[in-house]
Amino acid sequence: MPEPGGRLTIPTLLRQRAAEDADARFLVTDDDHLTYGQLDAQTRRVASTLLRSGVGKGARVGLLMPNGIDWAVLALGVMRAGAVLVPLSTFLRPPELHAQLVAAGIEDLVLAPTFRDRDYVADLCEVVPGVAVGASDQHLVEVPRLRSVSLGADLAGAARADGATTDDRDGARADALDAAVRPADDMVVIFTSGSRGAPKGVIHTHGGALGAVAASLGPRCLGRDDRMYIPMPFFWMGGFGGGLLSVLVAGATLITEAEPEPTRTLALLERERVTLFRGWPDQAAALAAHPAFASADLGALKAGSLDAALPPGLRRATGVRSNLFGMTESFGPYCADPLDTDLPEGKWGSCGRPFAGTEVRIVDVDSGAPLPAGETGEIQLRGPNLMRGIGGRRRAEVFTADGFYPTGDLGRLDADGYLFFVGRRDDMVKVKGTTVYPSEVEAALVTVPGVQRALVVDVDAGGRTELGAAVVLAGGVALTAADLARETRARLSAFKVPSRWVVVDAADVPMTATGKVDKAALQALLGAGSNVDS
Amino acid sequence: MTDAHAVTTVGAALAACVATRPDHDYVVCDDERLTYAEADRASRELARGLVGIGVGRGAHVGLCFPTGSDFVVAWLAVVRIGAVAVPISTFSTADEVATLVRNADLRALLTVPAYRGNDYVAALGRAFPALDLAVPEPCALVDAPYLRRVVVMGGAPGVHAFHTDAGLRAAAATVDPGFVDLVGADVGPDDRMVIVHTSGSTSAPKGVVHTHGGLLEHLVVLNELRGLTADLKMFSNSPLFWIGGMGYNLVGTLVAGATLVCSRAEDPARTLDLVERERPEMVNGFAQSVAVLVSDPSFEARDFSFIRTGNLYPIMPPALRPPDPELRHNMLGMTETGSVALMESDESDQPERYRGSFGHPVPDLEARVVDPETGEDGAPGEPGELWFRGPNLMEGYYGRERHEVFTADGWFRTGDVCTIDDEGFLYFKGRRGDMIKTAGANVSPREVEPVLCEVIGCESAIVLGLPDAERGQVVAAVLIESFDGMDDDALRAALRDRLSAFKVPRRFLRLSRTAIPMLSSGKPDMPALAAMFDDA
Repeated sequence: MPEPGGRLTIPTLLRQRAAEDADARFLVTDDDHLTYGQLDAQTRRVASTLLRSGVGKGARVGLLMPNGIDWAVLALGVMRAGAVLVPLSTFLRPPELHAQLVAAGIEDLVLAPTFRDRDYVADLCEVVPGVAVGASDQHLVEVPRLRSVSLGADLAGAARADGATTDDRDGARADALDAAVRPADDMVVIFTSGSRGAPKGVIHTHGGALGAVAASLGPRCLGRDDRMYIPMPFFWMGGFGGGLLSVLVAGATLITEAEPEPTRTLALLERERVTLFRGWPDQAAALAAHPAFASADLGALKAGSLDAALPPGLRRATGVRSNLFGMTESFGPYCADPLDTDLPEGKWGSCGRPFAGTEVRIVDVDSGAPLPAGETGEIQLRGPNLMRGIGGRRRAEVFTADGFYPTGDLGRLDADGYLFFVGRRDDMVKVKGTTVYPSEVEAALVTVPGVQRALVVDVDAGGRTELGAAVVLAGGVALTAADLARETRARLSAFKVPSRWVVVDAADVPMTATGKVDKAALQALLGAGSNVDS
Repeated sequence: MTDAHAVTTVGAALAACVATRPDHDYVVCDDERLTYAEADRASRELARGLVGIGVGRGAHVGLCFPTGSDFVVAWLAVVRIGAVAVPISTFSTADEVATLVRNADLRALLTVPAYRGNDYVAALGRAFPALDLAVPEPCALVDAPYLRRVVVMGGAPGVHAFHTDAGLRAAAATVDPGFVDLVGADVGPDDRMVIVHTSGSTSAPKGVVHTHGGLLEHLVVLNELRGLTADLKMFSNSPLFWIGGMGYNLVGTLVAGATLVCSRAEDPARTLDLVERERPEMVNGFAQSVAVLVSDPSFEARDFSFIRTGNLYPIMPPALRPPDPELRHNMLGMTETGSVALMESDESDQPERYRGSFGHPVPDLEARVVDPETGEDGAPGEPGELWFRGPNLMEGYYGRERHEVFTADGWFRTGDVCTIDDEGFLYFKGRRGDMIKTAGANVSPREVEPVLCEVIGCESAIVLGLPDAERGQVVAAVLIESFDGMDDDALRAALRDRLSAFKVPRRFLRLSRTAIPMLSSGKPDMPALAAMFDDA
């Protein structure tokens, strides 16, 4: 049993939760559920099976399956065995799958053969010809580390089977295995897309990851009696850390569904008396706009849920409640004030204050020197709950000599320690030798009456960098470039005011195939835009 | 000399030497010669067997071998495929091996059957009664859940061929020879390379983790300082399973492309023959380790004038021996810093004001001398705890979280007490804790005391270090309320089954409880206790 305030491991948590209340529900889906007692028994069998098949301490085990109870049991079973879970996205295309198998050094791959329109066995065979599903001790030149590929349903099914024999020796073996997993051991490698280049495999230990989760529960208002709805995929931080592990650490219940659809989701929220709705913001808005919303009994929902899903009386204006701010490297959120409480005035729009155990400092982007309160610079993090490292990089390449991780995010801390996020360092622009944060200019522009959306980028004007803004106006509004420049000048220092402007229709904002704003197209558009000399 | 970008992993450093000087000797140990090409070939073949038994990236493989080419080949085989070598002291007892197998999460253990009266097969049997090496099946021990395979090199009576190098060769046959290099292609400088065990202040030894990039880069720095280049031979007898042998000798020689000369001969005359034959220009190690060579009757007649540099003064030509060793910069090394941490390239006699100096921190380390109470730097001349920081320090202690081992801003607290002068020269003053350093090995009193109580049946025991001209310190024990009637030799014989020879106390003192000198804090007065040995 972990001591109060002590560092956690997956095995100790699983045992502790089952010992406290074996009948309490851990995970509920549209048509199934799993209790903590079942979770303990089934993950124990998964761990024993993996160990018998030769999966060792620290070995990387990839999991490529859609959300569901099997995913949870297999993932927690892998970590319980002391192996390192590598959650793989069901969206990966074959070349991406190959790249992540190699980068993470995955030795055992557990997969679902198909999901929706995807055939993962075919995908795998495309990049690893000669691979055999169900076989171990393979030697594959395309993925030399990969030794075995197995079907998740088989492994999970065997763990679920009634009458799975456990004699005393097996019990003693499982106890010894649980005790052999330490807080310092690697627990998971999660891929996150770097802003450029190949995805990064972020390595977290049991103690660090579970410490980060534990520190977030208070501000996120998640307690033992809560039933939290999260539809995010388990293979990304939101579903994995924010969902599965948060619920496990809190001893709460997770409600999820593979394919959210408003009518079904509303019925699920009602049936399970969900207390915290932490889905996607646009999902919450869609639910609120649905005809069935008014008649759904969502009376169990409490503050701390996404605003749109709450009854109108519980909603707050944008920015009044703290943002929940984090990243994969910090194993999810590291900064927020309690989500059910209004921020003090003057702190609106902030991310609240850093969680216990995480130090935040702001440094000058160029010199790396710490900056005083109120000044904007790069956000750096330090503390025992941060990642251990990034695969393929030495510690000195990832952390500063004094132990901080440069996040690449820009922000400022006020005198009371509240963190305000300003933008990504990659988005920072130098105009006439001065640093400008496009996100800050965008935020100012949308406060101009009649401006619906603003996109600010740097524009190359014959070797000189200028700031350009593309603006979407509300229907019936007519603002000229000169009007916009004047309004901006009233809100920002002169050097932050764009000198190039275009007004575009909402539908004409250039987008990439992955649904992000196409920055290059925007820059081309603004290169031809009207020039207002500021 | 290998180029700088080639030395980020052991495999890459070996490949660079094979490309430039395949037939050059890497290691000469007594009558064994291992060229770079042969080290490559033999380690690739052994690695094939390891791949065949499922040893993957990051898997821990114990190596229990005496100094020699078998150790070197096994180490290279393990680390070239990205597994982690865990050298085991050949002094280890059954209890110590069992603790290490469990604490280091060994997946496989490669061992010689026996060495110098230590029977490792029997020791494993005592440590793990459920281990059955007579049946051809992977291990599945309740008390060592991750241990899958024991490989007894050369076999032993009662050990099935499955658990020997023959079994490894059979597994190798299932792996395409070229596949080994594919498996090793993803090993990078951030991968863990070796876990070297060092005596901890608590009862269990600490496993110090070094990465490929960290240890190799550190040795590039040290080679620059000591002038170890590809055309040199270096003699050193530090055991390969500790950091001196692993880092300063094996890795250092590899990144230089040089030759290491070493010996495991029991007869000092044989070692002297080796040195005479190989003519190493550099001699390094723990000075006391060559005391036995100098006292050999054949030493006087030998001509070692080929030795040009190093720190094994007793065997160096008389003209190179310092008139006063305290006026040469000394060296300080530790497992956590990947061998040497304080040294100077200047080997000349120093002015009196530098008496006892250990030089500066080496270029890839920062050092501070800190008041442990306040965490602030002390004034010059004030004793304080030595702290290190740098990119090539150990990654950490295996099984312990980083924040337990380093300060938040990245400093490692060594536990050594030093002073620093106003020119930044450091002076070692002793251990902050109670660690005993005897003949180059660390002994923690807390490791020895419980064994004493158990074996002898005394009420309690206090173990301490006494100064010793030959060994630096010797282990001594105060036995409290023990009137067992055993003489010291019988006592030592009884302890040798439980403790490595170097941990067995050389001197004993039997006292009643009331005779123990106490401090007002209620703790024993250690200096007064030590003084009682003088009177005994």
